Order: sequence, then structure tokens, then C-alpha cells
Amino acid sequence: MVPLAIARQTVREAMRRRVMWVFLICGVFLIALGPVFGFLSPRDSQTVLRSLGLAAILLAGLFITIVTCIYLIPTEIERRTIYTVLSKPVQRYEFVLGKFLGGFATVFINIAAMGVVFLVMIYFQEHKIPPEMFKGVLMTFFQMFLLAALTIFFSTFATPVVNFFLSFGIFLVGNLSSVTESLTTNHNPIVRFAGDTIHYLLPNFGNFNIQNSIIHPVTEIANENIFIRNNIVYALIYSAVLLTLAILIFDRREV
Amino acid sequence: MATAISIQGLTKKYVDVWQKQEVVAVNNLNLEVQEGEIFGFLGRNGAGKTTTIKMLLGLIFPTAGDATILGKPMGDNNVKKELAYLPEETYFYDSMTGWDLLDFYARLFRIPEPERRRRVKLALEKVRLQPEAWKRSIRGYSKGMRQRTGIAQALINDPKLLFLDEPTSGLDPIAHAELRDIVASLRHEGKTVFLSSHQLADVELICTRVAIIHRGKLLKTGTLKELLAGEHTEIVVRGESLTNGTVGKLKAVARILEGEGTDTLRLSSDDTEKVAAVIDMVRGAKGHILAVTPHKRTLEDVFVETVRKEDGV
Repeated sequence: MVPLAIARQTVREAMRRRVMWVFLICGVFLIALGPVFGFLSPRDSQTVLRSLGLAAILLAGLFITIVTCIYLIPTEIERRTIYTVLSKPVQRYEFVLGKFLGGFATVFINIAAMGVVFLVMIYFQEHKIPPEMFKGVLMTFFQMFLLAALTIFFSTFATPVVNFFLSFGIFLVGNLSSVTESLTTNHNPIVRFAGDTIHYLLPNFGNFNIQNSIIHPVTEIANENIFIRNNIVYALIYSAVLLTLAILIFDRREV
Repeated sequence: MATAISIQGLTKKYVDVWQKQEVVAVNNLNLEVQEGEIFGFLGRNGAGKTTTIKMLLGLIFPTAGDATILGKPMGDNNVKKELAYLPEETYFYDSMTGWDLLDFYARLFRIPEPERRRRVKLALEKVRLQPEAWKRSIRGYSKGMRQRTGIAQALINDPKLLFLDEPTSGLDPIAHAELRDIVASLRHEGKTVFLSSHQLADVELICTRVAIIHRGKLLKTGTLKELLAGEHTEIVVRGESLTNGTVGKLKAVARILEGEGTDTLRLSSDDTEKVAAVIDMVRGAKGHILAVTPHKRTLEDVFVETVRKEDGV
């Protein structure tokens, strides 16, 4: 009940942040522009709408997740609102969990809103909603779930500015899994060690990008459902580890 | 009477990253607060008052020492059900209404719905926040309204022990008096209040015992009566006959401060009966009472004197 009360209050505060609305409006605007670009582009209008829509959800979701989650805990400490919360019978793990749930609920609302607009646009253009579109939005959703956990983890000890660069940087590197994977087979042992560390330690965000197979039917992922299921499990386990570490750090932190 | 707070050797040191500079915020603090007391915790800015409260609430961790609150270790989550805290500055979620804020805090105490609604209403009524402001955003509240809301959130769980950090600072005289009276009324409800304040007149008016802390060190603690000891009355008398045997009799009941050998004497006594005896003696000797001036020590006198003595001023 306590984490839910904190999550509810967190959503309320987060939804009042103008910067989040800017990213949401930009995302929706880009998705809505899909058909226009389709007519302008010599490429297949269906491909343009699909790629633009999924990219807009990913980009807007990325910025919404980061700008929402980096401030959740530092703002409480900076504004000292945390004093009246932690002086009540609230365990520190309940506080971190509540902040994460609230932060992610905010991200979920935004992705869901953009997802609905995207699917409506698809329906208008294709007169049906192909199931793989849901899969695309679902994978972005879990990618952001993992990113939210990473950002909350950093926010227990880093300032929002440092957190922004750390989270954003790791998201970029984590999206280059094919590059980092190639380093793991390098002949130089130092490069190989660095490659192993980066590839296996940092969250593999790249695995969530299934847009190619959705947009281009010729590109197929073998055992797609198992691939998606495994990635969801990966996101859940990795996030659980990050949140456990966040709780351990925050438990020792003075506020 | 049971002990509400027992502090033994509580110390908090802050060391810089290079382990070179050390700041002792609280230095080997030993203190006991009994249940049902309004305990005044006095000190200058940076004396260590807020640091002490934050350690007791488990917001920061002590370098050394220990404390128990209502018989349980400080920071214990179970004991927090019986506690309340009003921070020095009332920082709230500004976008929330007063009602919603209290409802949120009540949820943190796991108070179920019908009871939660009742508690929120009761707390807001108790601090006399106008009902038309209950559903208004806190952003538009005045300092006094915010402070009332702060005390209301501290009362939401009907606590046994309240930590109030400067509850009346920066308020207009009416709001100040009203909030002071609310704090004073808590004693009649059997609650213990640990009041950190600069408002020495308030502390003198409502506290039963007081501690003075300076640079993290406890300098003085005791009841107001003990701390304010030293009250006396000065009597100035005149009369020719006083130069003879009457002076000897006066010396037996009061201290002669000035004028021995002249016809005007300045005497002093800390006993009201002896003051009356002096007056009777002087009148009996056909002398004149020129002035009777009671000299009362205030908490401010005691505080300034104690702190200056420690600073060697």
C-alpha cells in the first residue's frame, strides 16, 4: 500500500512537468505526420508510417523516461519533501519502489497514449491493425522499463545532470550490441576484456529493437515469440537487479 | 514517568572527501526527555539541533552513540508509527491541496479509508485552517497556512511524540500566538513534544524542561525553574535613622548592595518574605521606601549568558 501511495503521488507530480508534455506532444505530432510523409516520399507510405511511428514512440519515450526518472529522488531530497515521508513508517525500499512504480506509470501512460495514436493512424491507413505493431510498442515499453530502472538506480547517488549523461550514454552503448559483440571476439585481450565487460554487463537495449522485422516483412526473427518473451524476462530480471542495488545504496544514504 | 527519548553519547561528524577537515555537528550528546513533557531544545543556527532530530528520526546516521525513542532504537520503523515530525521549513508537494496532502500522509500510516477521512478533517480543524482552503492548492497558501498544514500532517497519526523544528518562525503575531497555543495544548492531551526553537519567549511560556546546545555540545539542561534561578528583588530605602542599629538588622535579612554608611541604601533579596521584612523594618524605623524592583531572569538572559560563557566572550 505504501509504495502504491508514493507511486500515485509521483505520477501526479510527474504529469505536471511541462517538459514531459513537450516530448509527448512532439511524439504524437510526429506519428500524426506519418501519412503526410508517406505521400511525399517515394517509398511505400505504409513503411514510412510504421517506421516513423515506432521511431517517434521510441525517441519520445526515451526522453520522457529520462527526464521523468532522473528527478524523482533528487528532487525529493533537494526540496526536503523526503523528510516528512521518511519520518513516517516508510521503509526506504518502499520509497525507492514507489518512486520507480510512479515514474514508470508516467512513462507507461505516455507510451500508451502515443501507441494508441500510432495504432489509430495505422488503422486509418491499412484498415487493420497488424499484430506485429503491438509487438513493436510492447518492446519499446519494456525497453523503457529497463531504462527507468537504470535511471532510478543512478538517481540514488548521482545528480540529475550526471544521471542524464550516464543513462543516455548507456542507452546508446546498449543499443550498439552488434558492435560490442564484435569486440568480444577481438584478438587483443584488452579489447576483448573491455568488449566482454561492456557487452555482458551493460543492459542490452539493442535486443528490443525489432522495428526492422516489423517494418520490412522480408526481415524475419527466428522464433520471434520466444525472442520477445526472453527479452521481456531479461528486462524484468535486469530491472530487479538494478532496483535491488538502488535500494541497497539508498538504504545507506543520508538525506 | 516513562522516558520518551534517551540519548547516550550521540555524535555526528562530517568529514570531507580527503578526510582532512572534520566538522563535529553533534558532540557526545546525552539527554533524557520524559513522556508528557514539552521539551525545549535551544541553540543558535548550526548548533546541531536539526542534526540531532534527523538522527533520532533515522534520516541521517550517527558517527557514534545511541538513542532510544519510546523504548525502541532510533530510526526503528515501528516506533515511527507513534512519531510526528515538522521540519524547520514546511516543504510540501505544492501542487497538492491541503486535504490531498494529509490524505497522502495518512496513507503512509496505512490508515484505512473511512478513518482516514475522519483523521484528515480532524487535523485540519484542529490547526484552524479555513475549510475553504482545504481543497485549494498549497502553492497559494500563506506562510501561516503552510505552517498550520505542517502541524496538521504531524497530527494525522495521533502521535505520542512530536518533533517540532521551529514551528512558529516567520509567522505574523496572530498566527504565531495561535500556533504556540496549539503546541501548548498538546501537553494536555498527554503528548510529548520535542521543540527546537529560537523563540525563547515561547519556550519559556510552554516548555517544562529545556536544554541548551552550542556547537554540538550540550551546555545546560534543567527545568525552567532551575535555569531561571537567580531572580531577586532590589529595594532602595532612605532615612536618617537607618545609619544606626537598623542597618545591622537589615543585613541579617538582605544583602546591602550599595550605600552603607549613608542615609540611602540599596538592598537585595531573592526571598519575597525577606523583602516584606525589610520593608517592615524600614517603616518601623521611620525610613522611606524609595523603590522596590523585582529582577526577573528570562530564558534569553540564561541562553545568552550560557552561550557567551562557552565562547569566552
